[in-house]
Amino acid sequence: MVPLENYVALSGILFALGVYAVLARRNAILVLMGIELMLNAVSLNFAAFASYLDPDRVTGAVFAVFVITVAAAEVGLALAIVIRLFRLRATSNVDEAAELKW
Amino acid sequence: MTLEEAQGYVLLATLATPLVTAAILVLIPSQYRMAHRYLSLAAGAVMLGLSVYVFAAYQVGHDPIQMTLRWPWVENVAFLGEKGVSLYLGVDGISALLTLLNGIVAFGGILVSWKIDYRPKDFFILYLVLLTGVYGTFFSLDLFFFFFFYELAVVPLYLLIGVWGSTRKEYGALKLTLYLVAGSVLIWIGIFAVVREAGLGTFSLPALWEAGQSGALSPAFQKTFFPFFAVGCGVLAGLWPFHTWSPDGHMSAPTAVSMVHAGVLMKLGAFGIIRLGIQILPEGAEFWMPTLLVLGTIGAVYGAVGALTQRDFKLISGYSSVSHMGYVLMGLGTLNAVAMTGAVLQMFSHGVMTALVFLLIGAIYDQAHTRDMKDFGGVAKVMPLWVIGYVIAGLANVGLPGLSGFTAEFHIFVGTFRSYPVFGALGVLAAAFAAAYMLRLFSIVFFGPLNPRWASLRDARPVEVISGGLLILSILAMGLYWAPFVDRVSETVLVLPGVTN
Amino acid sequence: MGAEHAWLLAAIPAGAFVVLALFGRYLARGGDWLGIAAIATSFALFFPVLADFLSEGDGLGPFTAAVEWTRIGDFSFPMGIFVDPITIVMLAVITTVAFMVNIFSVGYMKGEPRYWWFFAVLQLFAASMILLVLADNLLLLYIAWELVGLCSFLLIGFYWEKRSAVEAAKKAFVTTRIGDVGLLIGIILLWREAGTFNIQEILRLAEEGHFGHTYLLVAMLFIFIGAMGKSAQVPFHVWLPDAMEGPTPVSALIHAATMVVAGVYLVNRMLPAFEVVDETLLVITVVGLVTAILTGFMAFAQTDIKKVLAYSTVGQLGFMFVAAGAGAPEASMFHLMTHAFFKALLFLAAGSVIIGTHHHQDMNELGGLWKRMPITGTTFLIGSLALAGVPPLAGFWSKDEILVVLDKQWGPWAVSLLGFAAILTAFYTTRLFIRTFLGQPRDPHIAEHTTETPPVMTGPLLFLALLSVVSGLVVFHEVGTALGFPGGFGEFVFLPSHGPHGYEFDAAFAGASVVLALLGIFTSGWLYWGGRLDRSTRLAEWQPRLYDMLVNKFYFDELYQAAIDYGILGFSYVVSWFDRYVVNDTGVDGSAQVTGYAGFILKHLQSGRLPHYAMSLALGVVVLAVAGLVMRG
Repeated sequence: MVPLENYVALSGILFALGVYAVLARRNAILVLMGIELMLNAVSLNFAAFASYLDPDRVTGAVFAVFVITVAAAEVGLALAIVIRLFRLRATSNVDEAAELKW
Repeated sequence: MTLEEAQGYVLLATLATPLVTAAILVLIPSQYRMAHRYLSLAAGAVMLGLSVYVFAAYQVGHDPIQMTLRWPWVENVAFLGEKGVSLYLGVDGISALLTLLNGIVAFGGILVSWKIDYRPKDFFILYLVLLTGVYGTFFSLDLFFFFFFYELAVVPLYLLIGVWGSTRKEYGALKLTLYLVAGSVLIWIGIFAVVREAGLGTFSLPALWEAGQSGALSPAFQKTFFPFFAVGCGVLAGLWPFHTWSPDGHMSAPTAVSMVHAGVLMKLGAFGIIRLGIQILPEGAEFWMPTLLVLGTIGAVYGAVGALTQRDFKLISGYSSVSHMGYVLMGLGTLNAVAMTGAVLQMFSHGVMTALVFLLIGAIYDQAHTRDMKDFGGVAKVMPLWVIGYVIAGLANVGLPGLSGFTAEFHIFVGTFRSYPVFGALGVLAAAFAAAYMLRLFSIVFFGPLNPRWASLRDARPVEVISGGLLILSILAMGLYWAPFVDRVSETVLVLPGVTN
Repeated sequence: MGAEHAWLLAAIPAGAFVVLALFGRYLARGGDWLGIAAIATSFALFFPVLADFLSEGDGLGPFTAAVEWTRIGDFSFPMGIFVDPITIVMLAVITTVAFMVNIFSVGYMKGEPRYWWFFAVLQLFAASMILLVLADNLLLLYIAWELVGLCSFLLIGFYWEKRSAVEAAKKAFVTTRIGDVGLLIGIILLWREAGTFNIQEILRLAEEGHFGHTYLLVAMLFIFIGAMGKSAQVPFHVWLPDAMEGPTPVSALIHAATMVVAGVYLVNRMLPAFEVVDETLLVITVVGLVTAILTGFMAFAQTDIKKVLAYSTVGQLGFMFVAAGAGAPEASMFHLMTHAFFKALLFLAAGSVIIGTHHHQDMNELGGLWKRMPITGTTFLIGSLALAGVPPLAGFWSKDEILVVLDKQWGPWAVSLLGFAAILTAFYTTRLFIRTFLGQPRDPHIAEHTTETPPVMTGPLLFLALLSVVSGLVVFHEVGTALGFPGGFGEFVFLPSHGPHGYEFDAAFAGASVVLALLGIFTSGWLYWGGRLDRSTRLAEWQPRLYDMLVNKFYFDELYQAAIDYGILGFSYVVSWFDRYVVNDTGVDGSAQVTGYAGFILKHLQSGRLPHYAMSLALGVVVLAVAGLVMRG
């Protein structure tokens, strides 16, 4: 059995990569991918801790499934927004879309 | 069905009349202007009749709370136990008197709103909703509905002033609403604190009064939360120094709204102080009342002095309202039965008298389009009835015996002198200032040679004569034979907790 | 019709007022007949009341009747009437003078606009005034007290198209109102300790020492302030001369015979309590003396007939206060009664002059009216002599009484001061008479058109002249008993603690009194006889400063105006300013502006750039994490 530390470490690396992508990239698609990475890291955490703490029940896995579902919906919505943005501005750079301010 | 139950339905009918009428008005297309007017007037007449009935049928010498009706609403859910929230109606001597006041002023207000041409449908709907809120607050024996109706009375004010007002109406309306909502926040916090602390799982006021008096609410708690109610309601009552919405709000409001606002709504604040502050938190009241007395006295003197040099009619009445509501708070602040009776009488007296004044100001402003006193002179020549009405209201304001103001102020002074002679003396002095500012207005506006610019002013119209006559009648009734008023009020006041005889 | 029905005396005019106020303008002749009928009924009903009063016991009453009006816990408030000799005297004065004035007004007010309103308010006044003297408790008294003030306000301002009349009405109301503040405070202070408003109860408690000395002193001084305001004593005297803007019958009824004596009545009514704290008696005497002397001087330089009479009224009220301050209600009430008759006569005669000359009342325009208006002139002369204190007219007896009791109580200093005031009285009265009726007409045009007034006006003059001659005689025991009273005036009205006071003729005092009167008359005659003014003009030129002082009435009005302008109105401006700029603009709008300004600054955080938001999110997480670790320790 793979020890818990490995899962946590992998999840940590994935999450850090995701955060980096969200904070550092300007391309909206890449930002979205960063968010997906973070979500996956969280899902992995859920599943790992669940099987470690209470192997008989699948609570953690259920949570992971929920996250995947929500993520899919979110990506669908976000991609639609990106496409609209691209149509409007001919760019997918998020810095260009700074209209929503005072 | 016993009489008591039947009377409970009378209260319900009184409450429902304006609300149902408003709902019907919503359904009538707005081009049928006369239909809106007549229907509103009919509702006003019904309300007046029912209000007179409630006042007259209130039995002196019985249980103070009468005509009860209770319809359960939410029970045994979450923290709410038996009788959690219910539509619980009833009147005591104080609210019976104020109900009468509301009936009279509301009827007069509808009558003088006859001439409103701009969106009369919306005006009457909002006005009737406002009246529902006022009645509801007076009748509610359930804290939840008390607050609900209280808010229901405040919200339409914003639109009524903002849309139909004059003279910086947006500013006046916004200021007034923000003020009152800020007060409501305090009340809301206080309500939840009280319900939680009492731990009875009910919003029923009689149950909470019992809790407050039996010691279920600790003295420290009472002292902490009394100011929430006193200030929260005091804002609406024109408590100094939270009074500045009054001159501006009155200046901006349309006639009928000024009448109800100064006439009844300000009393809602003082009523709230009695219902929530004194009755739920008697020990807190005892602790804080001297402060209220001081603030009330300051308000009484300050308003009177401030009115001395004003030039706008409505500002004079605005400041005089601050002064008179100062008397009310002063009377409440003594926790003395005589002064508190006087305070409640003053609520009625100030209500009818101010309603009359605003009615008359509206009548002249509609024609002259100015309210600057210095523009006028000698209008008694062209508007004799109008002047007679104004003089009666003004003299009631001054506290002339034979008119309602004296009856009320006299009781307040007598009661206040008992424990606080100096403040009583200051109150009497403020009444002398009242004479000065009122007579100044009389002499500048009504008398002297007629300014030819106003030769074409017409006198009060029939609608104004009828509604004004009704108000004058009330002023005279309380001034000449005050026993029916005093009997009802004093009996209730005497059973209030912490009130000394 | 017993004394317990005395309230009808007030109720009848009150009913007439209601009818006249509502329908007077539609009635024939403006309803003046209704008003006169009402007051005549009151006048007539007074006699059965009097007879009943005298027939009971020793003829000194008192009668009481009361009903409970309201009750709040232990605080009960009964309404009732109280009739004792003082009340009887007041009722006699009020009903008689009111009746005469109502008749006179038919002639005087003929053709005036709002004729019906004039009669309506006269009835309200009569009702309130009668109520005032009948009241058995201070609260009812205060109610009536304010109502007579209202009537005074309405009648002074009767010609409200005239700016000066309106200002005078306002001044009268506000000035007396200041006194009323004192009265109300005094009443409530007495109630606070006594627990009742009933006058007799309060007096009893005061005599039993129920009140603390200082407490009672303060309360009684407040009461006296109310009396000073109503009776226009210095420094509240300024409103009464201005009140002459009202129609002359009003001046006669309200501002000479009845309302202004309410203060005197109140002091006499409460005299037993004033006696308990006898410091107040000195205050009352001094105020009366100062008023009598100052107004005597003020009357010197007036040229308006009515103003001279007004100052004279204030001065005579001072005499009454002096008597009350000497602890002698008999002298005070006696002078009140005689003064009411002869001063009402003088005012009505002045009114007759005004009508006869077609609205001229400045002495500089009149003169030589004696032949043109014989009845008016004769009656005016009788009134003047009574006022000057010439025997055997009414004023002589009452003034003599005052001097006697004053000597007993305070000694020579007070007597000499009052004697001086008596000289002044005789002086300006004579001047008034000479310059109006004697000599050559100063304006022949006016004199030419002057005619005697109709009988409806001269009738009341003659009746009041009769009273001015004979009413002084009731001081004698024999006259009193002949009329059915227990004795002379002093044996009917007296302070219980002093007992009845029979009239003693003191030749020295009577002689001195006559000498004083003659001194004033002859000085005045020497200055003004034959309508010449050269001597008085020279006098004015000799001391111009003094003359200016007199013409300007010692600058009281100017002083008060300055106090109002700079004191009260200044204070009001400060309050208004404070309310607008500090409370409203700084406190209320200020907090709104602070909120707005904070938003103006903080809005820059909202850059609209996604990475910024993301970065702040991440930073937030870090901060929270660090904070969590630190908190854990």
